[in-house]
Amino acid sequence: MSFTLTTPSGFWNPILWLVFLALFSIIAYLIYSRGNPSYKKDTEQIKPYLSGNPEPTKEKVQVKAGDIYWGFIEALKGYYKVLQAIHTGDMRDYILWYLGIGAIITFILIGGV
Amino acid sequence: MGKLTNFKRSLWVFHASGGSCNACDIEIVAVLTPRYDAERFGIKLVGSPRHADVLLVTGAIPRDFADKLRRIYEQMPDPKAVVVIGNCGTTGGVFYDSYNIAGPIDEVIPVDVYVPGCPPRPEAIIDGIVKAWLKIEKLEKELEGKEK
Repeated sequence: MSFTLTTPSGFWNPILWLVFLALFSIIAYLIYSRGNPSYKKDTEQIKPYLSGNPEPTKEKVQVKAGDIYWGFIEALKGYYKVLQAIHTGDMRDYILWYLGIGAIITFILIGGV
Repeated sequence: MGKLTNFKRSLWVFHASGGSCNACDIEIVAVLTPRYDAERFGIKLVGSPRHADVLLVTGAIPRDFADKLRRIYEQMPDPKAVVVIGNCGTTGGVFYDSYNIAGPIDEVIPVDVYVPGCPPRPEAIIDGIVKAWLKIEKLEKELEGKEK
């Protein structure tokens, strides 16, 4: 039984693949074993170097999705200030707004201002 | 002076300048430039304490810099040595006992080699580095002994 799959662009053999996997694992282990054994976990040694400054929390250095729109929101902050104040997240509030605005439009259309 | 036997790799140095007037720093640069060219012995300045064997400190260390210097020292892998370059770092120099100075450096982190001078000559700095190299060899042997 042949384990070799021959294709027009080359061949694939799982045994050969496993041999290489074992070989590279040995090489990786040899490199790992030559590492500094005095390495101390849970100390400053594992933290990135930031010119001696303490490492900020991940939340503080993370670029949030909202940061992408920062310039846009900053430029229109007068508009967004009002909009965010009425954006309660409560569906009943939005239905009230819908009905209120609908009533005004209806009044304008039917009332014949 | 002892022979270098154990530490069989290039010595990498990190330079932290804390409140220095720049004179010591310029002499450190002179050590690296073609007149002395310490890099031909593998002694080179690196950009991160996490890569360094030796911490080279200049300046009298202002209070705001003391915690940063401690952090830099702690980030270095073992074995490590600290070399103080110049009078300000060694004793406080003309800034001794100033209200805003946390130094001399040995009051902030442990120091292995002092290179006094205002500023010290490049030859003195190289001599200090070699002494630090010998200290690291000693520390490395101790570390190897602990592992066995």
